[in-house]
Amino acid sequence: MKYAFFPGCVLESAAKEDYLATVAVAQKLGIELIELPGWTCCGASHVQDIEPAVTLATNARNIALAEEMNLDILTVCNTCTLMLREAKHEIDENEATKTQVNACLAEADMEYKGTSDITHLLWVLIRDYGLDKLKEQVVKPLTGLRVAEYYGCHILRPQEEMGFEDFQLPTSLADIISAIGATPIDFSRKLDCCGFHAVYPAHDSVMRMTGSINQDAVNEGADCVVTPCPLCQMQLDMFQKEAKAVVNGTGDMPILHMSQLIGLALGIAPKDMGMPHRHLTSTAALEKFI
Amino acid sequence: MRQITYHIHRFNDGKSFVQTYTFDYEEDRTILWGLQKIKETQDPTLTFVAACRSAVCGACSVKVNGQAMLGCESKIDDVTARFGSDEIEIAPIGNFRVIRDLVVDWEAKVDRLKTVAPWIHLKQDVEDENGVIRQSAADFKKFVMGTECILCGCCASECNKLTAGQDDFLEPYVYTKANRFVLDSRDGNKMAHVKPSYENGIWNCVHCMNCISRCPKHIKPMHDIANLRKEATQAGFENKGTRHAKAFKDDLKATGRLNEVSMSLKSDGIVDSAKQAVYATRLMLHSKINPLELVIPHKPVKGIDGVRKIIKKAEEAGK
Repeated sequence: MKYAFFPGCVLESAAKEDYLATVAVAQKLGIELIELPGWTCCGASHVQDIEPAVTLATNARNIALAEEMNLDILTVCNTCTLMLREAKHEIDENEATKTQVNACLAEADMEYKGTSDITHLLWVLIRDYGLDKLKEQVVKPLTGLRVAEYYGCHILRPQEEMGFEDFQLPTSLADIISAIGATPIDFSRKLDCCGFHAVYPAHDSVMRMTGSINQDAVNEGADCVVTPCPLCQMQLDMFQKEAKAVVNGTGDMPILHMSQLIGLALGIAPKDMGMPHRHLTSTAALEKFI
Repeated sequence: MRQITYHIHRFNDGKSFVQTYTFDYEEDRTILWGLQKIKETQDPTLTFVAACRSAVCGACSVKVNGQAMLGCESKIDDVTARFGSDEIEIAPIGNFRVIRDLVVDWEAKVDRLKTVAPWIHLKQDVEDENGVIRQSAADFKKFVMGTECILCGCCASECNKLTAGQDDFLEPYVYTKANRFVLDSRDGNKMAHVKPSYENGIWNCVHCMNCISRCPKHIKPMHDIANLRKEATQAGFENKGTRHAKAFKDDLKATGRLNEVSMSLKSDGIVDSAKQAVYATRLMLHSKINPLELVIPHKPVKGIDGVRKIIKKAEEAGK
């Protein structure tokens, strides 16, 4: 199994722990990741809002880079996945758009053909790798660890672009958590938004959203929250202290990226996945399960 | 005989309670049919609104197993198959004040709708000699999707931003109505819709995509919000949201990737960022940000010349 890896900007900086974890997990599982050479920011939904033509063209370039490698793109970020899939959807659905985009790419002697798909590690593990095979690789089953499965919006919605599973009844993350020996809690806020994309302009609302998710994970007896998105992870972890004060929270909640949780079960040392140093909220509560 | 059970969230005289009703299954019936059957045969006090039964009037929207949909076009067969149960939870749509049972208050929502002047500001001299206003098929196509909105409120029901706070954000359909006129070639005053949309929250959308997921007419209110953001930005309006988006774009052009440290400064402004110095220090202690990135620029990605050429061409096409 081989993919063109699209890490996305945050994996290079604030969420470097997820880069480390994803690369280590892929290596353990025998999934070959070749980083897309010269990938650029997906636009993160922000550039899309002010310059849609620009992000359509730059994401077409990102996809064309993978096409040149004859590989599908793999990401570990919900928003990168959605932005790339939206671009692909828009271009594939409309021949005139494809012509326009290719006129832009021609400036760099490139062409978008539409031959590469965009997928996420979560989907790859279930659809392509297989949960049974994943189970076989587990050396440290996370028995007894209660995990709040938190999907984040852009891996599920809009269903037209994503469509891996029913956007209101997802099970993929819970299935992964079970496969590595931990217990998904059927988290009541699994479909909620963390607010990341409006943290600057809608600060007060976003802190309430973040705080409520973390507090309900506490209320529902989770040992940690796990998400397939580094943006959700950053939001729930980096703003946890401030958000907790806004909702008068009663406890702290370690926030892990899916790759980190899988890595723990595969026997990868926590420190090799940025734990605990790169987490603002202590992950000490997890130690007894590792 | 197969039975269907509705657990209905009721509200009357200040009291909220869940009441359970069971009735005989019939093939190919709608959620609304079930409500009407209960009202006619079991409980005349059950209160809900419905009119056209054809997904045109938008009156019968309710939450079915947590998701807003039109009662008249949602089949019991589909819901039971999707959720794997003959027990269905029905509640009033979210983010509205409930008047009684499944009936919500639209009065205040109409006032909020008026904020963006959702009516045409007709251009001068668009009529021909016969007093007819003509529009090309291509221009009609630009806004026609927005006219599909039937004001059912489904997009607002699970809007995460509205749930977190309604003071600085409007219902997604309001922005759709605004953008419908912004995109109409006959409208001569785009800013009459863009400016109030900008002043009333477009940048506070959290991109949860629930509006798109819920719309029974397949409208994409978040994309309408995006277009209003674009129009507002081009008109020169500036706030934390516009600065944040521009910072992203500048980085995309400069190196191809994001510089998170400088982006925070650009988005928040120097004063707010200084206020967050304590927070920034915590981030640094955990290696989440590297202050050196402020002084040592990122290395551009491989092929940056090509990226810049592509962006330049796309910008020209975008105009």
